[in-house]
Amino acid sequence: MARNKHRTLVKALILAPYLILLYILQSTVFTRLTLMGEKPLLLPMAVAGIALFLGRVDGGVFGLFAGMLTDLSYNQATVQFTLLLTLMGIFLGILSDTVLVQGFPSFLVSSVLELLLISAFQALSLVVLRGAPLSVTAAVGLRQSVYSLIFAIPVYYVSRFLCRVMGPGKGF
Amino acid sequence: MKELISKKGLYIIAAAVAVAVIAAVSVALSGGNAGFASLLSEPFFKPVKSAMTSLVDSLEHTYNYMYRFDEIEAENQRLKARVAQLEQEYREYTEISEENERLHNLLGFAERHEDMSMEPVTVISWTASNYSSSFTISKGSSSGIELYDPVVDEYGFLVGQVTSVTSTSSVVTTLIDTTTSLGALFYENGETGVAAGDFELFKSSRLKVSYITDMDSAVIGATVVTSGSGGVYPAGLVIGTVSGIAVSSSGLDPYAVVEPSTDLTGLSHVYVITDFAVSE
Repeated sequence: MARNKHRTLVKALILAPYLILLYILQSTVFTRLTLMGEKPLLLPMAVAGIALFLGRVDGGVFGLFAGMLTDLSYNQATVQFTLLLTLMGIFLGILSDTVLVQGFPSFLVSSVLELLLISAFQALSLVVLRGAPLSVTAAVGLRQSVYSLIFAIPVYYVSRFLCRVMGPGKGF
Repeated sequence: MKELISKKGLYIIAAAVAVAVIAAVSVALSGGNAGFASLLSEPFFKPVKSAMTSLVDSLEHTYNYMYRFDEIEAENQRLKARVAQLEQEYREYTEISEENERLHNLLGFAERHEDMSMEPVTVISWTASNYSSSFTISKGSSSGIELYDPVVDEYGFLVGQVTSVTSTSSVVTTLIDTTTSLGALFYENGETGVAAGDFELFKSSRLKVSYITDMDSAVIGATVVTSGSGGVYPAGLVIGTVSGIAVSSSGLDPYAVVEPSTDLTGLSHVYVITDFAVSE
């Protein structure tokens, strides 16, 4: 029991600065450093990485906080990404616990699917709720996903390094 | 010793006296210039002396480098510190100069709009979203900022509107955001329309003016200002200039494409209009 508490504390101490660093990068540096007019999404990829290495519970908890910070970086209420990334963290964690092999190819496929799903959700919600043209929103989503994937390698290796520092075992 | 003094010594003394006398006479005859000894020895000693001087200089330089290294390093540190101090002063001067310019520009705007109260704020961060255009500013309700307050730049060009407020910060949604919609009029002829953000124009940082009462007024280069209708924005704030005419996808509604006058990419300081006289 005490050992589990200690392990949870260690995880929180290691992952919290990682979350904050990615949030600061996403909401300050990369809001100015655009590519093809788009800004990248770093936090969702980190969710894929943590879920892949730590499983459904940790993936879900990390997704919850990453989602809240992503919503904050979007200057919007903590709803859309908070829900999306929590669910994605849990779902990718389940895949990691069952079928996915812990390696870069799995991470890359997970990240691509995650980013495309987020883009599709954003684009469709704007089409349905605000009457935005699908061609425009889809193009933005695609460019956003491509730009984000440039950071797949550093996010993967940092996530893997942090998870190795925590030691073996899954679950908060 | 005795012989030296008595014989050779006398010769030597005599020779010395002779040399001295000749030297004195030659100096006296040449009007105070170098004596014959100098003239005779110069061709031989000059290159030797030059070489020796160079050698000594070189040795002295090496000596100084080796033994005064600490002193030189300390001096280098002092100079570096001084350079850093001067650079800091220059940065401060530049900041003050820029702030002065901004306030000067704002003063011109404020003099033209004495009915307005303005709160200067700093832009903290921009949204990470690719579908909206908003930024966070450094002040909130504790500084008198309220929801839907208009925001302008130092020239008085419209930037956007406050759409979220906390006690210490606020979110400003810019005029190109797709949720923005406000009454506009063409400055030159007073024709009215509705300025709004558009998904297709968003990426090129432009907005559109539709529902124009007379499309002939929407000529390229025409200035678009706020109409003041609705009382949310003061009348007469410059939105931008017409850069093109287009038709909606349905092909039925023509609209003017407007380039904002404010430079949205370069905003660092903006001004929230906290109070103004409503002119309906």
